[in-house]
Amino acid sequence: MNEPAAGCEFVKEPPADLASAEFSSLYAENSRAIYYLALRFLGDPQKAEDATHDVFLKAFRKLDQFRGEASLRTWLYRIAINHCQNLRQGWHDRHVFSNADDAVWENAAARTDSPLRVLEIKELGQRIQKTLDGLPDEYRLLLLLVADEELSYEQVGALVGQSPDAVRGKLHRARKAFAALFEKTA
Amino acid sequence: MKQQTKLSEEQQQQSRQVGTEQQTQKQSAREFANAEEMLRYDAAHTTVPPGIAQRLQKSTGGATEPKTSWWRKFLRGNL
Repeated sequence: MNEPAAGCEFVKEPPADLASAEFSSLYAENSRAIYYLALRFLGDPQKAEDATHDVFLKAFRKLDQFRGEASLRTWLYRIAINHCQNLRQGWHDRHVFSNADDAVWENAAARTDSPLRVLEIKELGQRIQKTLDGLPDEYRLLLLLVADEELSYEQVGALVGQSPDAVRGKLHRARKAFAALFEKTA
Repeated sequence: MKQQTKLSEEQQQQSRQVGTEQQTQKQSAREFANAEEMLRYDAAHTTVPPGIAQRLQKSTGGATEPKTSWWRKFLRGNL
């Protein structure tokens, strides 16, 4: 074990420059992931921009409370998910979301297991958004989190309150639902 | 006869155009094994608006402002 050198002073709060350096590094490494989650979860670039700002501002203010029990990425995702879910919760009172009937996904034929093909890359984002908008929040969030290669099934499970096995099971159904709806957006 | 030749040339030209379009479509086609793969590709092509970093700089105030703003470094790609 490394002992602190004699005469080494402990400081309760990090110097301002250190806090700033930590935060800039946090932003550089995670801003794309958080913005993308907000963008595709909320479906609105302006709201996603606001949400990303708010998430990082919360993180900046609570950085000293980060206990290191989870990775910084997971911690940021937790803040982002809570924030985005609160925003969406408010919208539900004012908007009707046209989620497709569950039977559509349950009865999705094996053809949806085939590779998903798109011809125009520029349309991809719009089609993805349309597809995600038609999925239940649970599936949408699960797919977005699993798409982040930095997260393990355990971490995804912790974020959505499910066991890793449950995540795998739901992921299978979420993939089928996504593929079935994606085909309809063509 | 001359008209036939012209028609034939036009047909050939149209055929060449269709071929080129098909080739272009083929080149721009992408296949994804599953939804996550597609989302990963989409995420990689999504740009974070630079305005977020600037707004954060204002929101966090001057309390932790170093000599060079972190968001300036970020926008310059020096991080």
